[in-house]
Amino acid sequence: MPSMSPDPRQAQALMDAVQAAQTADDLTDAVERLSACPHPMAIPCLIQVLGFNNPGAAVAAVDGLVAIGSAAVPAILANLDEVNYGARAWSVRALAGIGDLRGLPLLERALAQDIGPSVRRAAARGMGGLHPHGFTARQRQELAERILPQLKAACGDEEWIVRYAVAVGLEGMEHWWQPLAAQRQRLLDTLQPLADPQGEAAPVVWLRARLALDRLAAFPSATRA
Amino acid sequence: MSQGTPLNEAQALDWLRQLEDPGQRYYAAWWLGRMRSDHPEAAPLLIQALADRSPGPAPASGIDEPNPIARNAARALGKLADSQAVDPLLEALESSDDGLREAAARSLGQLGALKARRPILRRLEPGPLVAGAPRPGSSRLTEPCEALLEALGALGWQEEDGSTIMDREPLLAVVRSYGDHDRPLIRSAAYRSLLQLTREDAWGEQLVRLLLHSDLQVRRAALLDLGVTGWRPAGVAIAQTLAENSLKLIALRGLVENSPARNQASPSPSPEEVELLAAMDDLL
Repeated sequence: MPSMSPDPRQAQALMDAVQAAQTADDLTDAVERLSACPHPMAIPCLIQVLGFNNPGAAVAAVDGLVAIGSAAVPAILANLDEVNYGARAWSVRALAGIGDLRGLPLLERALAQDIGPSVRRAAARGMGGLHPHGFTARQRQELAERILPQLKAACGDEEWIVRYAVAVGLEGMEHWWQPLAAQRQRLLDTLQPLADPQGEAAPVVWLRARLALDRLAAFPSATRA
Repeated sequence: MSQGTPLNEAQALDWLRQLEDPGQRYYAAWWLGRMRSDHPEAAPLLIQALADRSPGPAPASGIDEPNPIARNAARALGKLADSQAVDPLLEALESSDDGLREAAARSLGQLGALKARRPILRRLEPGPLVAGAPRPGSSRLTEPCEALLEALGALGWQEEDGSTIMDREPLLAVVRSYGDHDRPLIRSAAYRSLLQLTREDAWGEQLVRLLLHSDLQVRRAALLDLGVTGWRPAGVAIAQTLAENSLKLIALRGLVENSPARNQASPSPSPEEVELLAAMDDLL
């Protein structure tokens, strides 16, 4: 977890192992070990792994970057690979997992425009996992006004998994928005079409949206800090 | 040579009706299936196209399979839910073109055509060492075993279609024999089929074992096969498989939607389904 500070020498040894890995499986194992001891020193190494076209290693690297958290955000944004599509998708996933507001413009662009459903789904989930630390109620409201229409638009995405992620994102919004009753109703109204078996083609999507509605109805302010 | 795909249903029907441009016929057949056309002329035109033996679009188009128009028509007919396609597809199942037999078998399974069970079984009966033997000079098997096994699973087992319990054991014995095939993809298809036919956990456990196979292609196939069966005990193993999250999500969706335990009348997920949804959330 980010609060722990692994020994820098240990982190260096784990990074050396990543650089020395000879096979795809070795690389995945080495990145998994590095990500289990997340140290800010490892950020450049983990970002580099996102571009290796090795899904197992990339999943582990994303886990490591998410564990490091906000400290990794500037480097992820500065190293966005505009050419390597796969690497960019992994960067979006890392930012979605971290929830830092500096990554929000990239999530917004990804949700609206990315051709890859896996990237759009990560972006939609990420919008529900934001951490607006230190925001006033009014600032949170403004943030919600910005994000709600984007998730609403993505309810019309042609891919079921993106609509599924939108339901997850909308449920997650409640955690950081902490809306009052009238605003909260807007969240429920946005989820409603996804929960309607007549309108939503994928049963798994309407089950997930129904679960979100049930939870929001059962615990109206359980997540209030 | 035509480029691209039809713009709309009327154009697709026109393209399939004409005989001059094989490229147009090829793409029209694909389009009508993809869009699940319910136009009354769609199925009859596709049935006619099943008999098409022209070479199809020019090789430059990248389509190099034999009988491409007939194969696409067979694939499309599986998606149209029109029972007049059953007899023509049964005929296609006897074609000398194994690719056409493959497409016909899959479509008969999709259509739930119980009449197809015996002819499909007959193709598999020679067993994995004969029907499942590789053809000389090809990576393909003598019979399209994967498609045939999957179709048997999709048809399931019901006694009301004229079959009796006496017919069941010989059917299962044939499918079981492919559980020992050399190729893990064929074994996966056999386990999937057996799980659908019997709902016995042992076959689900075999599929879960294939999730640990060293070859990514095999792990992918086992994921999709488990999804089709909706065998829910596989949920945790699916979430942990070394494969793309996208495929794991498709498999977990299958466990939610295809399980016999799914209560169609309930708009809310059961506790077991909530766990599967939580596993999906983690993979987004």
